[in-house]
Amino acid sequence: MSMNEEYRTTACSQYEAALEDHLHGDLGGHEATELAEHLKTCSGCRAALDEAVLSARLLRVAEPAADPGPGFGHMVMARIRAELHLHEGKSIWQPFVSLAWRFAATAAIALVILVSFDVGRHSQLQQDKSLLATNRLPELVPDQSSVPTSSDDVLLLMAEPNHGK
Amino acid sequence: MAASASAISLPVSRREKGEEERQLVRLAQSGEEAAFEELIRRHQQRVFGLVSGILRRREDVEDVVQQVFLKVFVSLKRFDQRAAFSTWLYKISVNECWDYLRKKKVRPLVYEADLSEEQVSRLDGVVSADRPPQSPMDRAEARDLLERMMEKLPQQDRELLILKEVEGFSVQELAEILELNVNTVKVRLFRARARLMEVYRRRLKASPDQPPEARKRKDS
Repeated sequence: MSMNEEYRTTACSQYEAALEDHLHGDLGGHEATELAEHLKTCSGCRAALDEAVLSARLLRVAEPAADPGPGFGHMVMARIRAELHLHEGKSIWQPFVSLAWRFAATAAIALVILVSFDVGRHSQLQQDKSLLATNRLPELVPDQSSVPTSSDDVLLLMAEPNHGK
Repeated sequence: MAASASAISLPVSRREKGEEERQLVRLAQSGEEAAFEELIRRHQQRVFGLVSGILRRREDVEDVVQQVFLKVFVSLKRFDQRAAFSTWLYKISVNECWDYLRKKKVRPLVYEADLSEEQVSRLDGVVSADRPPQSPMDRAEARDLLERMMEKLPQQDRELLILKEVEGFSVQELAEILELNVNTVKVRLFRARARLMEVYRRRLKASPDQPPEARKRKDS
């Protein structure tokens, strides 16, 4: 017979609870009288009760768990304090806080990249302007001071010995 | 007269004890650690008994009991004191044990070797004697043999027998802790006893029905 299937004793099923009570002397009054009457005529219940008495004899050799002692309470409290301390830093907002920090760090890095790109571009523009200024062609942009303002100035300009060479 | 006085004083002292415990729980709920430590001191032995009755492995018991008190401390503010603190504590203990067994997938202790004829006859002596063995060595051996037989029982039967017969929990307490009807607990206990005796009888049948001298000759 498998140990996991529904187990049946030789006792009548309606008397099993009363027999358990009887074993410990917990049955009294009308129920005790009724069981005593039943036991007189039911060999199955008598046999089951005898087996239960023997099982109690077997079980009396077992010993209860030992008291862990007065230091156990201190040990448990120390563990509780340690666990609570550990959990203090781990509030329910902890994942959101760490996510916010990650966003902040990413934004800071992006800002640094943008600023450095802008500074680089600005300095490049400055460099280009100065280069343009140094390489300017005078014939394309005539000097305002040498432009003749009247017909006399034109004649004088033509009379200059080296003009046009 | 004396009998009536004791009959009156007993419920009063029990009520006072209950009120004292409720007060301790209230103090612990308000964050007083000394009150919680006192609750641990009062209940540690029974919780140990309960947990070791279910887990059966001494090395696991202390860790699980600590875990039980940690859980109780964390959820104490939610405890409304409608049930007794002890019942609530024992329920948490039982759940913690089952969680532990499930998570760790603990397999029951398996004894490869069967009981020897000599061991069987010693157990026979324990069953037929009016008193348990007196010498510590005999008791220890009988305990070991009983443990081997208990391992052959289904988990639920084993738990019930140990909690009731060894750790001293009442049927009422077991019904509350295991959330079962009182009558169901009684019937299961009675059947568990029969099952234990069946395991024991099978051991007896396994050894040949010979006089001890003949067995010795066979062994040599």
